Amino acid sequence: MTRILVIVPFALDAEGVRNREAQSRYVPLPADWELTYRPVTCGPTSFMSPHDWGLMDLAIFEAGCNAEAEGFDAVCIDTMSDSGMVMLRSVLSIPVIGAGKASMLYALTLGGKFSVLAQWEPALPRYRKAIREYGFDRQCASVRSFDQPPDFSNLLGGKEDKVFPRMRDVAMRCIEEDGAEVICLGSTTMHQAGEYLAANLPVPVVNPGPLTYKLVETFLALGLRHGRDVYPAPVEPRLDMLHAMMKAGAAAENAAKG
Amino acid sequence: MKKVMVIVPFPMGKEDLSRRQAQMKAVDLGPGIEFHYRAVRVGPKNYSSQHDMVLADFSIVDAGLDAEKEGFDAVCIDTMSDSGMAMLRSVLTIPVIAPGRHSMLVAQMLGDKFSILMMWDRWKMLYTKTLGELGMEHKCASMRSIDVTPDNKSLLSGKEDQVFPLLLEAAQKCVKEDGAQVLILGSTTMHEAHSWLSERIGVPVINPGPLTYKLASIALDLKLTHSKATWPTPLVPKHDMIRAIGAAGAAYLEGNQ
Repeated sequence: MTRILVIVPFALDAEGVRNREAQSRYVPLPADWELTYRPVTCGPTSFMSPHDWGLMDLAIFEAGCNAEAEGFDAVCIDTMSDSGMVMLRSVLSIPVIGAGKASMLYALTLGGKFSVLAQWEPALPRYRKAIREYGFDRQCASVRSFDQPPDFSNLLGGKEDKVFPRMRDVAMRCIEEDGAEVICLGSTTMHQAGEYLAANLPVPVVNPGPLTYKLVETFLALGLRHGRDVYPAPVEPRLDMLHAMMKAGAAAENAAKG
Repeated sequence: MKKVMVIVPFPMGKEDLSRRQAQMKAVDLGPGIEFHYRAVRVGPKNYSSQHDMVLADFSIVDAGLDAEKEGFDAVCIDTMSDSGMAMLRSVLTIPVIAPGRHSMLVAQMLGDKFSILMMWDRWKMLYTKTLGELGMEHKCASMRSIDVTPDNKSLLSGKEDQVFPLLLEAAQKCVKEDGAQVLILGSTTMHEAHSWLSERIGVPVINPGPLTYKLASIALDLKLTHSKATWPTPLVPKHDMIRAIGAAGAAYLEGNQ
């Protein structure tokens, strides 16, 4: 039995988590795999400002920091922001894969330049920051948004007829005007549109969530994991403190909801 | 059952081919996929100059030209030079996976900067070409050679005691002096050193051949193949001409043996 922890970046209820779980149906996975989708204890409600990014790092780190001791064989982070990835790598020796950097690199195995399809305008600064920090400016043709406010629980459900064609049109502009040779879906929450876009665009479409599962499969099969020299273990871990902090955060959120 | 063709870049007999096939042991590929090794019928003696590289490109496109028609689902190219990859991607719609480009990209999933360990300096041009194509020169911490002439048929066998410690020494320099966070073996022919080296070096070491097998397998599962916007189909394919050139080269080599 191979156990994979998938960290869902919002404190979602059971139905919201089920919408995320649906990603695993797009790809065949090894028969002995068990995927556990775990929402964070508490965190931001969106991804649009440094306030959100900092909290998201903390939230995902807390959700996964004991994964190895809990018996998981690998961790996937279900967000293109790669939030929490480097912190988790500093405390875990099992593979930890975020969808962002990995899907851009994978896109470059399929073509020379990629564009990222973003949900809406407020999401653009985060992609631009990540692309610059990863050093992929030269390989990124563009980041364009299809101007649809995100719903992190229902995702694109119920909005297919309206939103999917608009996503295709924006992706076509990435290809024709910006020179994209591969399209990266800008969020794991767009997974429902992956098959439609793949069928209606002339270039490959990378669906980041399912890709992370297959990359984990690759790393486990080859015995590869991140080097701990790059992600050194803390001199004095404070993971218990971290758990207590996020528990208090969740309590405050619940109290605020009344 | 999915079928993958592995193109071996030098003409060789069964015994030498089996040393290439031994790369399969390094990776769990699961059921439902099989790999067929095919040596090219023509090509250069080794990869030491631009003279050799143009012959290598041709020899590999010649070997894989009909892969799709023959019922293969994907192609792996068993050389870090990625010879023939661009040509094959332009004529095939099935995934064509070559270890140079792919290992440099996967290395960055495990760390940020990588170094390439090579047998001799003559191979430097192979990686420089791919780094230039990717526009990722800034991701390569260094390329270090152990200055041992490679043998593309018997590989490292019989030379373990001499070669392995040299590789470790060069690898340590890559990590300590050059800042490499991930190492890439500079040739699929170095696979016999992979597990020995990775047990001793403390950073991830990419074994490029087995990596391509797994990436071929996941590309099929993800239903993804290369972009025709990057590798466009030729307007006037010359498949018959390519076959004739390949056959003539093979006849020449046979006549000179």
